[in-house]
Amino acid sequence: MNIDYSKEDIIVSGRLSIAQIEDLIAKPLETKVDKKFLIALSVSVTALMIGAISLGFSLLYGTGLWGNNQPVGWAFPIVNFVFWVGIGHAGTLISAILYLLRQKWRNGIARFAEAMTIFAVMTAGIFPIIHTGRPWLAGYLFPYPNQHSLWVNFTSPLIWDVFAVSTYFTVSFVFWYVGLIPDFATMRDRTKEGIRKTIYKVFSLGWRHSHRNWQHYEKAYMLLAGFATPLVLSVHTIVSFDFAVSIMPGWHTTIFPPYFVAGAIFSGFAMVVTVLIFVRKIFDLEHLITIDHLEKMNKIILATGMMVGYAYAMEFFIAWYSGNQTESFVFVNRAFGPYAWAYWIMVSCNVIFPQFFWIRKLRRSIPVMFIIVIFVNVGMWFERFVITITSLHRDFLPSSWGYYRPTLYDFGILLGSFGLFFTLVILFTKALPVVSIAEIKAVADDAQPSHHGDH
Amino acid sequence: MSELNNNNDSHKQQNDPHYWRSFEELQNDSGFKKIKENEFLEGVTKDFDPNTDINGVSRRKFLALLGASAALAGAGCSDYRDKGEIIPYNKQPEEVTLGLPNYYASTCTGCEQSCGILIKTREGRPIKVTGNPQHPVNKGKICSKGEASILNLYDPSRIQYPSKNSNGFLNEVLWTDADNAVISALLTAGSKEIALITNQITSPTFLKLISDFKTKYPTTRVYTVRQFNESVRKAAWEKCYPGSQVPLIQWDKAKVIVALEGDFLGKEGNLVENNRLFVQNRNVDDVKNFSRLYAVEGNFSLTGLNADHRFRLRPDKQTEFVLALTQYLVASKGVQLPGSLSSLASVISKFDLNKFCDENGISFNDISNMASDLVNNRGRSIIYAGSALSEKTHVAVNLLNEILGNTAVYNTASSAVELTQPSAFSEFETLVSSLNSGNVALVMTLDCNPVYNLPEDLGLKDALKKSGLFVSLTEQLNETASLSNYVLPINHNFESWGDAQTRTGVYSLMQPVIAPLYNTRQKESILLNWLKGDPKNYDERGYHNYLKENWAVSVFPKSMSLASFEKYWLGSLHDGYNLFNEAPVFKLTLNAVATESLTSIETDYQGFVVLITEGTATGDGKFAGNGWLQENPHPVSKVTWDNYAAVSYKTSKEFNLKTGDVLEIKSEKGALKIPALIQPGLADNFISIETGYGRSNSSVVANGVGYNANVLLSKSFTTSPWMFGSVAVSVTGEFRQIVSTQDHHAFEDEMIADQHLKRNIIREATVAQYMRDPHIIHHGGHELHTLYADHEYPEVKWAMSIDLNKCTGCGQCVVACNSENNIPIVGKDQVAAGREMQWIKIDRYYSGSPDNPSAKLQPMLCQHCDNAPCENVCPVAATTHSPDGLNQMVYNRCVGTRYCANNCPYKVRRYNFFNFREHFADGYQLSPSFELIANPEVTVRSRGVMEKCTFCIQRISDARMVAATENRKIKGDDVTTACQEACGTEAIVFGDMNDKESKISKLREHNLGYHLLEELNTRPNVTYIAKLTNTYSEEV
Repeated sequence: MNIDYSKEDIIVSGRLSIAQIEDLIAKPLETKVDKKFLIALSVSVTALMIGAISLGFSLLYGTGLWGNNQPVGWAFPIVNFVFWVGIGHAGTLISAILYLLRQKWRNGIARFAEAMTIFAVMTAGIFPIIHTGRPWLAGYLFPYPNQHSLWVNFTSPLIWDVFAVSTYFTVSFVFWYVGLIPDFATMRDRTKEGIRKTIYKVFSLGWRHSHRNWQHYEKAYMLLAGFATPLVLSVHTIVSFDFAVSIMPGWHTTIFPPYFVAGAIFSGFAMVVTVLIFVRKIFDLEHLITIDHLEKMNKIILATGMMVGYAYAMEFFIAWYSGNQTESFVFVNRAFGPYAWAYWIMVSCNVIFPQFFWIRKLRRSIPVMFIIVIFVNVGMWFERFVITITSLHRDFLPSSWGYYRPTLYDFGILLGSFGLFFTLVILFTKALPVVSIAEIKAVADDAQPSHHGDH
Repeated sequence: MSELNNNNDSHKQQNDPHYWRSFEELQNDSGFKKIKENEFLEGVTKDFDPNTDINGVSRRKFLALLGASAALAGAGCSDYRDKGEIIPYNKQPEEVTLGLPNYYASTCTGCEQSCGILIKTREGRPIKVTGNPQHPVNKGKICSKGEASILNLYDPSRIQYPSKNSNGFLNEVLWTDADNAVISALLTAGSKEIALITNQITSPTFLKLISDFKTKYPTTRVYTVRQFNESVRKAAWEKCYPGSQVPLIQWDKAKVIVALEGDFLGKEGNLVENNRLFVQNRNVDDVKNFSRLYAVEGNFSLTGLNADHRFRLRPDKQTEFVLALTQYLVASKGVQLPGSLSSLASVISKFDLNKFCDENGISFNDISNMASDLVNNRGRSIIYAGSALSEKTHVAVNLLNEILGNTAVYNTASSAVELTQPSAFSEFETLVSSLNSGNVALVMTLDCNPVYNLPEDLGLKDALKKSGLFVSLTEQLNETASLSNYVLPINHNFESWGDAQTRTGVYSLMQPVIAPLYNTRQKESILLNWLKGDPKNYDERGYHNYLKENWAVSVFPKSMSLASFEKYWLGSLHDGYNLFNEAPVFKLTLNAVATESLTSIETDYQGFVVLITEGTATGDGKFAGNGWLQENPHPVSKVTWDNYAAVSYKTSKEFNLKTGDVLEIKSEKGALKIPALIQPGLADNFISIETGYGRSNSSVVANGVGYNANVLLSKSFTTSPWMFGSVAVSVTGEFRQIVSTQDHHAFEDEMIADQHLKRNIIREATVAQYMRDPHIIHHGGHELHTLYADHEYPEVKWAMSIDLNKCTGCGQCVVACNSENNIPIVGKDQVAAGREMQWIKIDRYYSGSPDNPSAKLQPMLCQHCDNAPCENVCPVAATTHSPDGLNQMVYNRCVGTRYCANNCPYKVRRYNFFNFREHFADGYQLSPSFELIANPEVTVRSRGVMEKCTFCIQRISDARMVAATENRKIKGDDVTTACQEACGTEAIVFGDMNDKESKISKLREHNLGYHLLEELNTRPNVTYIAKLTNTYSEEV
């Protein structure tokens, strides 16, 4: 294969003109909703409503409607929380870290990935609140001055979680919004009078596409990217502390922070690929989100999948090497105990199937990558299930061992979380430019003219 | 005050230049004078004028309007939840101090043992029952049924008014109507029989009342129902020692105890006393005097669980076993038969112990050791046969005890007293035939349930319909009462007067501690009323006076008291009992003729043998409606809310059974479908079923729980009413879930077998090992280091120790804790989900082969760790450490993240997944009467809140308050936790570990003391005293 490394990769294929790019991206926003959109929305809203009903009953009668029990205090809600926070990792990673690394191919997917981050974190954020026994007192988790002189317990990882996730959400949201400002202005300029124009006006903050605007924008964007980068790593590190700081065998391990971050990127990219496969097709964005983009993401999936696999192996090794009876029991129990099925789903989905990405052809095949990323999504959900439940269900005292069975409410809420996420994603595709107009223009052909004439 | 004085002074010394408030005053400015004369500055009062203001609404008016609207809003929107009236005592009762409990001594009626109890009342409401510490028999302890009997008082399912049964519907009637109906039936009975069916009477005064009743209505016949009784034992005793009572056994005097299917720690006799005496010889500071307990049994009983050696033997083989053992002792161990028993030699000669052991899969070597033990401890050992065994077994056991000189272990100083005997089935047969021939004018059932408890083939159920009139006196509806014409509700014993005598020289009194909650009367008053025949003049105090008069006549003179009767009476009421010099008469001369009955022993049963035993939780069904007991896990199987057919591991393999598979058990008389439970250690081809379940027409809680095993019973039996052979067992293919609080793990699974030993959770040694090496349980431990300085606990620091040698696993602590700490009943579905709420549980671990495992117990509760893993993970600091070393739970602050429970290595935290009070049985626990049971000192926890053992912090606070009023510091001995108070064997010790002289400090330093999972450096404040097993093999 001949690759000319002296030239930059072509990011926008099809030799689209600047105006065509703008038209292409703005099209969903300027056309009426079609049948496809409504069908997709109704499916996701149905899922959302099932979740809402399940949650409503749970709030009315109590967490007892779920399968949680005495040894297994945390189950589906926490699994879902970690899963969704993990999904929320790809966006900021793509938009911030890849930005700082000058990976221009990110421009085509950054907006969408960031939106997914925000929606995923919103979805995730519901779970820590609803999983508590008394969600109406969730305010106690914030350190606010009060008459009782009560303060939160800063040694608890759950408090760190509150800050980590809320900071991550805030920064991601601001970052996303700052990136949107030039596009709001573009849309404002394209829109005739009306309520839409007013909205675009307000949100474009008086953007005039001037050099001064761009200068400030670029600086702000880079600073925010710099600010968001450590957060990408810290959020899942801190989420992993929820487990690692405890003394439960299977939780209490130092490998958790890097293992969780790798897993989060792994699952996040898998989810981004899952959604982009559809989005680029439905909105005719194949020229902007090219197969090369997807391939690059698949490479990252392969790399992070191997990291996760390494962590699985290392956990077993350390459990054996430590000579700690309970610790080694937990891992043997994971692989061969009552939840062995979940463990082997996890291993095969996360470690075995991504190995197909070693082959270029498969990496670039839409159907193959779709199947694999779905497996990865499933596998990563099961990873959190395995970590949370198998560690708890058989811990130190055999007398307290139990078995956890999820109930219909658990599944309802899980379904509802997908409903919420996809409802937000679907609404997003009609409300905002799914690809950054400004950024894609910057990497389009002829966007950077030079006197050498080759570009 | 000083300010006021100053002002006054300044008035007086208006011209005194030393005191001035401003230059204006100093200069005596006229403007100032004017200001000073007016109280308020000009304009300040303008707002107070209701009429003038720029906006038309003055400040004052605004405030008035605001107040009025607030008041209106308050009055108008007054849909406030609590509409109950709160009326303070405008004249405080003399005895009641608000906030302080009163204790009243009384007598328990849970079973026929009549233990002395102490009822704790708060503001006139009983809230807790404990044993009466002064009582000579139960000595401050009481069994779990006694502790739970308070729940029956407040049970919303109690019948609340007298009612008449018309075609299955119970319609409320007036007491006088019911009384008139009964009295007219009594008066018109003529020569027809008046049948009075009662539970076993323990009250001498009630007995006198019945004899008065008999005098007035001479055709009265009394029948006594007691399903599980000592009739077989008594019959055998009568054969061996004619004319003598069955003596009590001094378990503390026995160095070697051989229990043959005899669950003296779990079900038979006075459990409280038996347990107390048994653990006398389980003192770790005196290991030389450890007794040795052998159990030879088919069922896996609590006694078997505590045994040092346990052998499996089907109960029908016990006679052969005892005779073979006797033969072996005589032939091989040099035991001489006494002259009077020389005839026994020919009887036993045909038995061969070695062969018997081979045939029944028992290790002959171990049995031979047991024989040596018996020989070496002649006169200091006892062989005890269970009540359900055949008469011949009992005779053989009596003879063997006689041969070994073990009669010395019998208690000759006092004996049990039974005022009435349970009626034999033949007596009920007579009743049924009189009923069927229409010769019975009236049947009265007094606080008993013969239709459920007696074998169905007696035909009592159908015959009762032929009675002229049928009235039931009962607290709760039951199978019998639902058939009767009148259902008359009776008082709970906490609402009743009474007395009891169940021991020689001990007369107990029962007094009401609360006025009847409902329109009920105590059964004695009802009878007294019928005796008087004047229902309109029913005297509430009638029986009280009757009791008092009887005591004045028949008890007081015996007492030799110098005080007046009134004083004596009040003194007795205060103490709850009275002692007399009353010795039993024993004639312990053996009647050698008894050997004759052993010449032919019962042939072996074919097929399966079924043993029906009393329900550990439910008794004979009386406590089936008691949620605390139903939810208290079975001491061996840990099953709650069910009975089951226990089958052995081998049998389960033969039938390919798993726990929960429904079996159909067909005896000669009936068939029963009941789920199986694989019980390791059970004899093969043997099924053990507890009864007291499968109630119908009973309370909300009791109905439909478990299966009625009484359908298998028969009036005709070959060996014993509770045991029968030739039973056909088939697998139906149905499945019923059986829930337990502890999983039964697969024994074959190498991965999970013996985890409790691998992890040093149960530390154990034999007595011999311990004597050789006192530090045996501490080998292999690591020293734990910490970087941080220890937290200081300058005052008291609470700690507990639990002696695994003394804990027999009865579960009394669990019920006591339920009662003390307002722990909700969660129901079978929630136990199945793994959400039981009990703060203390008793873990049971099996080890060894599933056919004949050994089991160890460990009470588990919050360990109150110094380095509590739960505390640092709570995000809202809802669980914290107190300065006296307690791990505390702040319910109000808890948001319910459950992180603390996850991080607790002991898994002792309990979470309110629901508002269990609302969730269980449609809010059964929220009914107005049930709510009265709550201990007012303990918060009732809401949904979504974590909870756990608090070391009875309310008792600590009480003790601290008392200490403060006495101007001293709190001491460790001031506090007794509820579990400690309930523990019949004193296995639980609680106190201040900072007091180096205290018992707890010494136990913490004991060679056998260990902390659970100490390698985690949680530093628990609960110390376990390692289990010592006194096995024989170690000595040789």
